[in-house]
Amino acid sequence: MPDSDIVILGTGIHPFGRFDKTPEDLGVHAARQALGEAGLEWSDIQAAYLTRMYLPATSGARILRRLGSSDISIVDIEAACASGGAGLRQAVLAIRSGEVDTALVLGVEKMPRGFMDPSMIYADWQVRMGLSMNPAYWSMRARRHMHEFGTTEEQIARVAWKNHRNSVENPNAMYRKAFTMEQILASKPVCDPIRLLEICAPNDGAAAVVVTTARRARQLGGEPVAIEACAHTVARYSADFRCPADSMSATISNPGPTRVTSQKAYEQAGCGPDDIDCFEVQDTDAFCEIEICEQLGLCERGEGGPMAEEGHTEIGGRCPVNMSGGLISKGEPVGASHLGQVVEIVSQLRGRSGARQVEGARVGLAHVLGAGGNCAVTILAA
Amino acid sequence: MGDETAAGELLPVNEGLVTGIDNEPRDVQLLGSKCDRCGEVSLGANAVCLNCGSDRITGIRLAPEGELWTYTVIRHRPPGGYLGPDPFEPFAIGLVELPDGIRVMAPLAGDVDSFEIGCRLRLEPWILQSRDGPAYRAFRFAAVAG
Ligand SMILES: [Zn+2]
Repeated sequence: MPDSDIVILGTGIHPFGRFDKTPEDLGVHAARQALGEAGLEWSDIQAAYLTRMYLPATSGARILRRLGSSDISIVDIEAACASGGAGLRQAVLAIRSGEVDTALVLGVEKMPRGFMDPSMIYADWQVRMGLSMNPAYWSMRARRHMHEFGTTEEQIARVAWKNHRNSVENPNAMYRKAFTMEQILASKPVCDPIRLLEICAPNDGAAAVVVTTARRARQLGGEPVAIEACAHTVARYSADFRCPADSMSATISNPGPTRVTSQKAYEQAGCGPDDIDCFEVQDTDAFCEIEICEQLGLCERGEGGPMAEEGHTEIGGRCPVNMSGGLISKGEPVGASHLGQVVEIVSQLRGRSGARQVEGARVGLAHVLGAGGNCAVTILAA
Repeated sequence: MGDETAAGELLPVNEGLVTGIDNEPRDVQLLGSKCDRCGEVSLGANAVCLNCGSDRITGIRLAPEGELWTYTVIRHRPPGGYLGPDPFEPFAIGLVELPDGIRVMAPLAGDVDSFEIGCRLRLEPWILQSRDGPAYRAFRFAAVAG
């Protein structure tokens, strides 16, 4: 793997959950922590990116002015569930261009309760006809996968069981409660075959990273983690059936967003899935994690269910996935979710994840996927 | 100003998506777009091909019958301005593969437990009445009898 010239020097997170706090409160908490860990002041930051989906215009400037006055570039970035990855990529590009050497990427979200407002992504007619339920799209993918590959409801539940169990050890998760397989399989179907304990909930939270050059990191000391790759794509037509699509081609089968984006990331990093020790991936629902493991190349197509069932994705397994508990237990503050994954991977690569530590983790991957086929993949190395 | 006015104002659920059949104003057909360059068919009247971007498009009417490709059941009232039955009744939705080479997402009429992948379905009109405003000509699929 080539030496990366760009590193993460500091990370910060405000726990994910539901809080009586403003976006400013959440964001400042995470940003201060990231700056502190990097041993830097706000005045050392030369460019800042605020990643969010549901906050109003110029939220970056509104939040970051609480850290002090500045005249740097502060930009809001939105790419649905992949917002954090799109923002991190901009920081990497800005530093690689030579214009700046230290940047802050801050993800903040404060989400409405329950199902997201459908008018943000769906057309009026889809809403009128009842086609605006996000979980329905994931559930239809699950149903088709079960049909084609024999994936079972127990295998899907096993993913939820693992992620809820992992979250018990994560103080930044919203739910920190283990459930039995029986409890998960007895929870109410939301959209068959996906059940209530198998889906993530939108919530509030913030996460931040300080990004700089390897050279500057050597001057500053600390525990830099290299950014080996950071890729973002929006899927081409009919590569992927995902909300808010109203139809898909029955004749075209392009590789989907996760396959395309992870391939770009693997090429940037000069590595493949077998070289990676731990993964944080989009588990919007438990089935989603199964399919993404296949698309990231952790197993063959159709083998994701058995891989989960046999425990290979548990901490201590062949390829641990969602050591943090995943979005199913952390909740999904959309604009902050990818940076939250990055915070987890950095902690893993520094060997500081306590009871959820993957032994000897040297390389980790974070993956998000959402509306419109937005996908981001970041690969980090100690 | 013909039959439709007599039957009350009936608007397409979306412009360029559905149309009636002559003399049966409450019936429904799905509109589609076929690309003259790459041949791809997309749902609705589109100005450009969603696949290749060409603007050489021929408007078509999609086949009314197809096979269920996948489905799910909506167990809770969808958020926003859903115009289906009130009080809410759980209903199935699915992707229906039509011989035109497209899978269309649509509500499915009938018992939510009666569907399986591969079953034959036929388009039918679904009239949605808004509370104070117009009725809409929408669509869904139902099992082919026999
Ligand atoms: Zn075309």
